[in-house]
Amino acid sequence: MNEVALPIVFPLLAAVAILVLRRMAPALALGGAMFSLAVSLRLLGRVADGRLETLLLPGLPDMPLRLTAEPLTALLTVVIATVGTFVLIHSVGYMKRESGLPRFYAVMSLFLAAMQALVLAGDWILLLAAWELIGLCSYLLIGFWFQRPGAANAASRAFLYTRSADLGLYIAVFILIGSAGTSEIAATLNVGGNVAVAAGLLLLLAAMGKSAQVPLQDWLMGAMAGPTPVSALLHSATLVAAGAILLIRVTPLLAPEVLLAIGLAGGITTVAAGVIALAERDLKRLLAASTASQYGLMLIAVGAGVPLAALLHLVVHAAIKSALFLAAGDFQHARGGTGFDGLESVGRVRPWTFAGFALAALALTGIPPLSGFFSKDMVIAAALSAPGAAWLAPLALAGTLLTGAYLARALRLLWRGAGGARPVAGAVWMNVGIWGLVIPAAGLGLVFAPIEALLGLPAPEAEGTAAVLLGLLAAVGGLALGWLVPARHLLGPIHPWAQSGLTVAGGLTALVGRPAMAVSRGCERLEDRLYATALRVGRRGLTIARGCERLERSLYGVVLGAGRANLAMAHLVRVGDERRIDGLIFALVAGVRAWGGRARALQSGLIHHSLAISAVVTALMLVILILASLSF
Amino acid sequence: MGHDLALLMPEIAVLLTAVGVLIAEMLRRPRISLSIAAAGLLVATGLTVPLLGTETNVFGGSFRIDALSIWAKLILLPATVLSLLLARNDVGGTAREGTVYSLMCLATFGALVLAGAGDVMFLVLGTLLTSLATFALVAYPDDDSATEAAMKFFVFGSVAGAVMIFGLSYWFGATGSTLLADLARTDAVPLAAILGLVAVVVGLGYKASLVPFHFWAPDAYEGAPLSIAAYLSVVPKIGALFALTQVVSDVPANSGWPAVMAGLAVLSMTYGYLAALVQDNVVRLLAYSSIAQSGYFLLGIVAVGSSELALPSIILFAAAYAAMNLGAFAVVALTGRILSDFNGLGRTRVLMGIAMVIFLLSLVGIPPLAGFVGKFLLFAAAIDVQFTWLAVVAIANSVLSLAVYLRIVVPMYRRGERASAAPHTWPSIVVMITFAATFIIGLAAQFFLAGLVR
Repeated sequence: MNEVALPIVFPLLAAVAILVLRRMAPALALGGAMFSLAVSLRLLGRVADGRLETLLLPGLPDMPLRLTAEPLTALLTVVIATVGTFVLIHSVGYMKRESGLPRFYAVMSLFLAAMQALVLAGDWILLLAAWELIGLCSYLLIGFWFQRPGAANAASRAFLYTRSADLGLYIAVFILIGSAGTSEIAATLNVGGNVAVAAGLLLLLAAMGKSAQVPLQDWLMGAMAGPTPVSALLHSATLVAAGAILLIRVTPLLAPEVLLAIGLAGGITTVAAGVIALAERDLKRLLAASTASQYGLMLIAVGAGVPLAALLHLVVHAAIKSALFLAAGDFQHARGGTGFDGLESVGRVRPWTFAGFALAALALTGIPPLSGFFSKDMVIAAALSAPGAAWLAPLALAGTLLTGAYLARALRLLWRGAGGARPVAGAVWMNVGIWGLVIPAAGLGLVFAPIEALLGLPAPEAEGTAAVLLGLLAAVGGLALGWLVPARHLLGPIHPWAQSGLTVAGGLTALVGRPAMAVSRGCERLEDRLYATALRVGRRGLTIARGCERLERSLYGVVLGAGRANLAMAHLVRVGDERRIDGLIFALVAGVRAWGGRARALQSGLIHHSLAISAVVTALMLVILILASLSF
Repeated sequence: MGHDLALLMPEIAVLLTAVGVLIAEMLRRPRISLSIAAAGLLVATGLTVPLLGTETNVFGGSFRIDALSIWAKLILLPATVLSLLLARNDVGGTAREGTVYSLMCLATFGALVLAGAGDVMFLVLGTLLTSLATFALVAYPDDDSATEAAMKFFVFGSVAGAVMIFGLSYWFGATGSTLLADLARTDAVPLAAILGLVAVVVGLGYKASLVPFHFWAPDAYEGAPLSIAAYLSVVPKIGALFALTQVVSDVPANSGWPAVMAGLAVLSMTYGYLAALVQDNVVRLLAYSSIAQSGYFLLGIVAVGSSELALPSIILFAAAYAAMNLGAFAVVALTGRILSDFNGLGRTRVLMGIAMVIFLLSLVGIPPLAGFVGKFLLFAAAIDVQFTWLAVVAIANSVLSLAVYLRIVVPMYRRGERASAAPHTWPSIVVMITFAATFIIGLAAQFFLAGLVR
């Protein structure tokens, strides 16, 4: 058995075991995640010297499914398994009083397995399948509380948003396989030319959907309807990360113009999502907007041509953001909600949690010597040295400033005011989960050097001091602004707009969803109208039929009269004639009556109508083909 | 001649089965007639297996024994058996129950004739055989809605059949032969080639319920017994689409037929899903969905003759479609015809809820289910012959289809309301078999394809 598959196999086994046994779900899920972590670490050790480990599975003809472990992908499996393990530990406490636990833990495990498969996928088809599977799992998890108002809608919305963007991935994959002739990812990255530009832009679209980049950011805030551990898992190292991971992995493919597009998409998102976060009135939604903003920073780094910076920030962010979400879950249990109105001074009554939250927040802002300082420094250095520095550097700095501002605002809102707290069940489990993530969130900066050596990717060309100073200035300035100035004053006139999520003209839903529904309703109305017309034609037919019947009756009378008048005729002839005509006419009358009744039941006109439509289209086909043949 | 008959053993077995069922019906033994039908069709399936890989034709080229016709038997015969089991639930205990089974065998025979047609006369024969049997099947319940549905179906079918026969006479006039293989000769008379092609598209498009020849389908499905609707949506449709594949593989490419197929594909997919979006009757919803799914088949047909992927994609999607569509209809048979019948189904009957979700997700095309592999290959085939725009439209329609199928899924898991699904043995067995097939076809695509691609 090749070890490459093991990080996927363990969570998958856990999911199956939970579904079959339907008991001990937390233990099984935790076991699956821990084993996955252990084998991921082992895998990282094996490929640390830059070796490739590959496993071929049967797939489509000439396109086997392929799992590939290299330093980059092995490192990501470790990150995913680590976050997954601690989130599951936290869930043991958080979900203690919920029902439907087997479903929750089974889908969480399946999600981990799919995410590991996505990272380890060495060919496009497996990647596509894993990509779809994490979309499906996120649908199930966000909608876990489907009985609560809005949860099912939020889940459907997230699914439809990301699936629409998946269109880009599908087409990009077809283009790449078509032009390279193989489905192996590594072999398709050097196609070059227009193909590379088109594929790069399409991949960017897919990544923007999954990583919630503007204008596709709307679903992420709605996705907060799920349980908090789900948010912690989905929005740190997994679902949302898939987009950034995709772009990091395909960096060799990306042409300069595509890189600039990626950088700009990231830059716009980091600022816009930062502004949204600053105006949020709900802790979890603030963290969600912050996720979009941080992934914007990673896209800036990719766009600047330094995937290493993006990757390091991704790893650091994974630990920090999951810790922040888990802490938010703890606050939620203490006060019964995540709106800032209800969370006043919750930090004072739950000091351990608050300390963890604050440490993680400072790390994300980029205060030395916490880990975020190092990764953000590298992102800013990358932006400064990029070809599009004039655009990217200000956007990256603005993003950093906003990060400080909205996190300081959150800290202030959680600290000030007054209020008690309910006792929290399972607090020990939750604190273990939180601090298990806060410690790497704070200290990861110390292991950057070995990670850089491991990956062998180029670091940004040094403009060291400038980047450090600017980054630090932005972070501290942001913190001060956020702590001292209320958001309403900070944002001025755009505050209400930011509170509504910066939606342009009602967002994508209004721009795409409503017209589609309108067209479909129009079709329905058209059918209705056709039906009404048909009914009218049918009724008219019925009237004519009745008229015919009356005519037949009078004819019958005339004939009968004639028959009587001919009584004098020969007996045999008379009997024979009358019987035959009688029979004929009775049959006719009965037939017309029956058909009249049937015409009412049939609305026979409808068939004529539909046949007419068929005939028109047939004629159109003829005309097109004839025109085509003439042009040959 | 003897060799020809040996190659036709499966078809002969189907015919004998139909006759055997009729005899049992004459003796008033409905249970025996069902067993004869199921056993006979399975024997015919077994007789087909040794033929795998054969590539020949019989009766002077007028009937083809190739991948299409062999796989048509392997897909349609088991699908008919499953439909028979569903039908037992609908018509069991009524008078003339055995006639239904016999007519289904005959209609399947017609579909098989279509799938292997190598001669225009076989096209006509196959269309008429399936049509005549299915008219009667739709009208079987003998109530107002069934009679109305059957009448519409009949009028539409007669017109389409007449147009087809009329147009085919041009082909005969141009080539002096009724063999499809001689169609290359129509190169010299483009107008006749076009008239014949359009006529075939009308005739087969009606059987396959492609837009704009689909109007009969929603009414017929709604009026007919559910099992017959399920049957109509799978067996005659796949037969007709395979026949269309046989025809276009011989039509000269310069006649521009791929563009027409692409146009029909766009119309069918888009109109089908848009119309499905506003249906409250699950049977009508599935009817429009099956219209849209026919459009997906055309993505493979567009590529016939130019891409190696064309035939495998069509055959694999046919197998996937048969499994998931029959499964969805079987769940409807157990639950009810109105959307609100599904409220809370996923909570009261957990396993059936899961099965329905799997069927619908497979219809959308979510991996690792059968529908994903099928659609993936169809998209690849279309892109392989430079019809990238068509694949894009198809993928966009997949997104739309998600909205359609979620309309069934969402109420299934709504709290509060409870659906009561009656436990019936036969439909439950059908659900189990199709459920397994939906997974197996998706996961074992490699082995399916090994037999198709050499």
